[in-house]
Amino acid sequence: MIGAGNIERFQKRWQQSKYMEGLLYATGFGGFVYLLTHHVFFGILGLLVAAGIAFWVLRPWKISSKNAVAYIDAHLPQAGYSSGLLLSPAHELSSLSKLQQYRVAEQLGPVLPKLSPPHKLLRAALVMFGLILLGLAVNFALANVNKLSEKEPSNKEQITFAPKDSLPSTTEFPELKGTNITIQYPRYTGKSTLNTTSPNIRAVQGSRIIWNLEFDGDVQEVEMDLMGEPIDFIKTDGLYRLTKTLEASGFYSFTFKDNGGNVHVSDLYSLEMVTDEPPMVQIEGLDNYSYFAFDDDKRLMFNANISDDFGIADAYIIATVSKGSGESVKFREETVRFDRGIPKGNKQIQLQQALDMDALKMEPGDELYFYVEALDQRTPTANIARSETYFAVIRDTITDAFAVEGNLGVDLMPDYFRSQRQLIMDTEKLIADKPNISEKEFKSRSNELGFDQKQLRLKYGQFMGDETEMQSAPGAVSHHEGEAEHDHEEGEEDLLDEYSHKHDSENEHNLVEEHGHENEDQEEEEDPLHDYLHNHSDPEESTLFEKSLKAKLRDALNIMWDAELQLRLYEPKKSMPYQYDALEIIQDIKNSARIYVHRIGFDPPPIKEENRLSGNIEDITNFDKQEEYPYEMSFASTREAIPRLEQLIQDRKGFSDADGALFADAGNELAQKAISQPLKYLKVLQGLRDLEKATYRTKENYRMVQKNLLSVLPEIADIPMKKTEYQDEINMLYLKELEAYE
Amino acid sequence: MSDVVVFMNQNFPWPLVLIGLLLWTVFIWKEWSQRKERRFWVKLALSFFAIVSLIMIILKPGIHQKTTNGKGIVLTEGYRPGQVDSLRSIYKRIQTEAYSKGRTLSMLDNVDTLFLLGHGLEAFDLWQLDNKSVAFLGGENVEGWTSISHGSKITLGEELHVNATYVGPKEGHWAILTDNGGNPLDSLPFDEQEEQLFEFNLKPKASGQFVYHLLVKNEEDVVSDEPLPIQVEEGDPLKVLMVNTFPTFETKYLKNFLTEKGHEVLARTQLTKGKYKFEYFNGASKPIYGFTEANLKDFDILIVDTDSYMGLGRTSKEAMEEVVKNSGLGIFIQPNEDLFGLSKRQSPFQFNRDFVTELNLGDTDQSLQKYPYGFQETVGTQHILVDSIPVAAYVPMQKGKIGTSVLQSTYQMVLDGQEALYAYLWTQILNGIAKGRESLVDWNAMTQVPRVDEPFEFVLRTSLNDVEVITDDGVRIPLLQNSVVPTQWNGIHYPRKTGWNQLRAFNDSLAPFSYYVFGDGQLVPISKSKTLETNLREFGSENTFTPSVSRSNKALVPISPLWFYFLLLFCLGWLWLEPKLRL
Repeated sequence: MIGAGNIERFQKRWQQSKYMEGLLYATGFGGFVYLLTHHVFFGILGLLVAAGIAFWVLRPWKISSKNAVAYIDAHLPQAGYSSGLLLSPAHELSSLSKLQQYRVAEQLGPVLPKLSPPHKLLRAALVMFGLILLGLAVNFALANVNKLSEKEPSNKEQITFAPKDSLPSTTEFPELKGTNITIQYPRYTGKSTLNTTSPNIRAVQGSRIIWNLEFDGDVQEVEMDLMGEPIDFIKTDGLYRLTKTLEASGFYSFTFKDNGGNVHVSDLYSLEMVTDEPPMVQIEGLDNYSYFAFDDDKRLMFNANISDDFGIADAYIIATVSKGSGESVKFREETVRFDRGIPKGNKQIQLQQALDMDALKMEPGDELYFYVEALDQRTPTANIARSETYFAVIRDTITDAFAVEGNLGVDLMPDYFRSQRQLIMDTEKLIADKPNISEKEFKSRSNELGFDQKQLRLKYGQFMGDETEMQSAPGAVSHHEGEAEHDHEEGEEDLLDEYSHKHDSENEHNLVEEHGHENEDQEEEEDPLHDYLHNHSDPEESTLFEKSLKAKLRDALNIMWDAELQLRLYEPKKSMPYQYDALEIIQDIKNSARIYVHRIGFDPPPIKEENRLSGNIEDITNFDKQEEYPYEMSFASTREAIPRLEQLIQDRKGFSDADGALFADAGNELAQKAISQPLKYLKVLQGLRDLEKATYRTKENYRMVQKNLLSVLPEIADIPMKKTEYQDEINMLYLKELEAYE
Repeated sequence: MSDVVVFMNQNFPWPLVLIGLLLWTVFIWKEWSQRKERRFWVKLALSFFAIVSLIMIILKPGIHQKTTNGKGIVLTEGYRPGQVDSLRSIYKRIQTEAYSKGRTLSMLDNVDTLFLLGHGLEAFDLWQLDNKSVAFLGGENVEGWTSISHGSKITLGEELHVNATYVGPKEGHWAILTDNGGNPLDSLPFDEQEEQLFEFNLKPKASGQFVYHLLVKNEEDVVSDEPLPIQVEEGDPLKVLMVNTFPTFETKYLKNFLTEKGHEVLARTQLTKGKYKFEYFNGASKPIYGFTEANLKDFDILIVDTDSYMGLGRTSKEAMEEVVKNSGLGIFIQPNEDLFGLSKRQSPFQFNRDFVTELNLGDTDQSLQKYPYGFQETVGTQHILVDSIPVAAYVPMQKGKIGTSVLQSTYQMVLDGQEALYAYLWTQILNGIAKGRESLVDWNAMTQVPRVDEPFEFVLRTSLNDVEVITDDGVRIPLLQNSVVPTQWNGIHYPRKTGWNQLRAFNDSLAPFSYYVFGDGQLVPISKSKTLETNLREFGSENTFTPSVSRSNKALVPISPLWFYFLLLFCLGWLWLEPKLRL
């Protein structure tokens, strides 16, 4: 029995491959069944049945050692047709046979394990995959068929006509043969044209809708009734055609007249307009408020998410920079494009953007407001949407406080004005000190006062629009003044500059336009047309102050000139009257500003002295007022229609004309509300309309209409009402007794 | 046993006696020849007996006897078969009869002690068991809606509260309340418990007579569908008089609210001494200076501020109170701080300081300002609750009411955009106080579940004298006047059809009374539990016999006529035989 084991192993391998084959067929079939039925149980059942059949056909257990020997003999020349000897026990064999057995065993030993038994595993595997693929294909096809069959009924809705008045059923009337409704969406939506037979239309605003109706038989006057507005169809080639651009939601129905003059009405269909929503803009990755120090890296990074229902046309950033504060605040608006281009027509864009505040020329104290604006492709006017506004501030290290004068309605005047009084006091002090000080000192102080007087005059001059040459060109002062000690003066001037409120003078620049170097004194006299012109370029004519005020100020300035002159001539005593005059005029000007506030106050009519507190009210009469507020409950007719329908349902009354009118009223009430949500109300309105037709007046319809009415009616508002009650004798007695014993 | 013999045939006793005597006389006369013999006397006696027995046969004598009739079982709907079996094992050959509505029980003649099984007899059949000793043993539990209660008549705009009890609810089922069209209004899930209480609140959207439905549903089907008949009637606008010493925002907004809702409002604000600003809205026209009974009578509600109320002259105040008591005028006092300090003599309200100055209603964030006082609980003070918080109260004064509130600056709600809450609040307060529309008759259904061909009992209360009630078909219904309360009349009607039925007081101007007659399959559990209740009340819940035995033990029992026949036969036989024996 040398080598018998090998043969047995071969036999086993052969059997195994047969089993394998059967199993593959079975798996394939089982998978196929499972995919068809979507049921694991059937899958397993199929698998078991198929395996049984396959094994029955293949009979792997029938592979005996004889078959193996025959196969080995036929396929391995090394076996020398005597592999059968290996199975025979040694003691039964002749010595020659034993020799042969030994030889065959020897030779087959290495070859036999490599010999593969006959099999069709590849074919079985292919069949398996084939079956599974087939299953998938059938599955897919079935699913599609199901979908189609589901879809169809939804498209099936057809326009149907019914005669408005009941007609004898024998008369034949024209019927609708074909309907074709074409919806052309606006081009920017990118939607293709839709052809449908379903008359309930839902489309984007601006869509063109074309109705084509074909009738079987002669018809006349085909009309569309769109929310009570009749629109005629145009007949072309036997087809009735109507084209309309969708601009509002609503309801419509068709009517036509047949040859007999009978009017036929269709059901009510909805026309729902979908508005093109404006884009949605969202900014992410940024706080609403950002603060920067002046030495920070002043860049704002953010993500902008923009989405739209039909496609975005454009997007950009609107940045507003504000400079200054209070009355001198200035705004500058800039449009910043995104770094990345905006591709047209995308439904969703995500943009990353950095906003460099330096590029916007922002300085400390400046504020930036910005938002992202996006446009969609709607025509003729695009929808514009904007994001929230975001703020960025570069912190200022210095802040200027701005205070409003208590006694002035409008604070136009810098503090310096008040120093005319100070000048007077200083001048008086100088005069008083004269005996005690040296002449040089006296002259110097007098000159200083003169300079102060000049400063004051210049300040006022600014109000008049005078140019302040001396400040801008200090070098020229000496020539102007014609005096010694200009170094000192210059020093004074610089000092003053340091302490004076720069802010105020800046402000003045904002308020009053600057003009060329003009000497107003000369010009005033020279211009003969002066009185007849309203010349804006002339500072004299600037409308900052009213005319009299301006003249006064001019007077004051002239007087100040004189005062300064006397001071410069070291004659403070002589300058005093001028200074007093100037002070008086300036006080006047201030008071005139004050009067401005007073003017808007309330002037009570004068009361006669003798009537005050007398308690005489004879002339006072009662005050009577009469008004009517007609109140009607919301949806009054609709609410009335419900019990009327209930009566009809319970057969307590027949349908009358009054009922028809009531239902029509109810329909009108609801139609107003229905415009915003046509689909919700369509059934109700249709139901109410149907009641106009005699054939529809059945209990089922009444019930349905009533149900729909109840479902759309809003609740009743709270109103105090008088309720019915019965005053019971015994209760009254009880309450009376209760009172008596209390 | 009594010796008193009563003749059951009482038609002609005396003629019979006379005829009998005549017969006997004739007989004596015929036998007179034998008077010397002994047999004459025997014959005389025998013939006497024969004639007496003849007379007795005709007169049917009876005697009062203790009745010794048997026991019986009456089976009504919902009995437990086990109970019947155990009774039968105790009492062999006991009579059993199934009860059906409206039919007289046949075994009652032979039976005087009854076991009543099941839910019992209908209330209108209970008379059959008078004079019987009854042990009411009850039956199976009633499952389903055992009570559904709701106001049958409400005013449009009011909330309808429906309270219902369900016995034996199953988890996974839902109770759904739908309107007459079938639109669901509210729903509640069932829990696994013995008995579940439900409360639904709804606001009808239209006026009229409707049948709402209370459904029980499981995942797929409707398990039960019970009708809920309701009547919604429209209310009338109010006639309002507002009197103020000076204009306030509170009054202004209340006035605007009322006038915009179509109420007739006359607002008077004092300008100065004796001078007023009168505002007439929606039809009001006559100015009012001092209060008199005549000028206040037409108003439904008087809204007056505390200062005006305090400043009323004695005559005005008396007139006002008289109108409140007699005509039902409602008075609402707009509070200010002074009101809370008034003595008992000055105002009917007493307050406790509660230091609460704000309150929140419902789930709104809106807080209401309030005076830091709460109402004292005194006899007669009725609270007006909003979200179970007493915001106002009134004291009834005979027909009318006088009320006030602890809220202040309610107009703030309007400014904050909470107009709906404002409307709700004032609707509750004014509805509680205002005069009602007085009706002349008041109908009350005593039968809870009226059905076709069953008695429907109703009570009519009216101060009118000659009342007559007619049905839809024009049939007059006789009324029974209550002897103690002469304004109360009882009547019974047997409705012919299901659905809405009407009764009409003969005086045509009055509104008819509508009631809903239920069909056979409707509200069955409620009927059953009502029957059970009635029977329990009648027979007690203990399983012992009612003590009617001692009361009715003596019944008149006729003496069997056979005795008289035998006597007659014997007598006649002797009279016939005797001459033969002698031969």
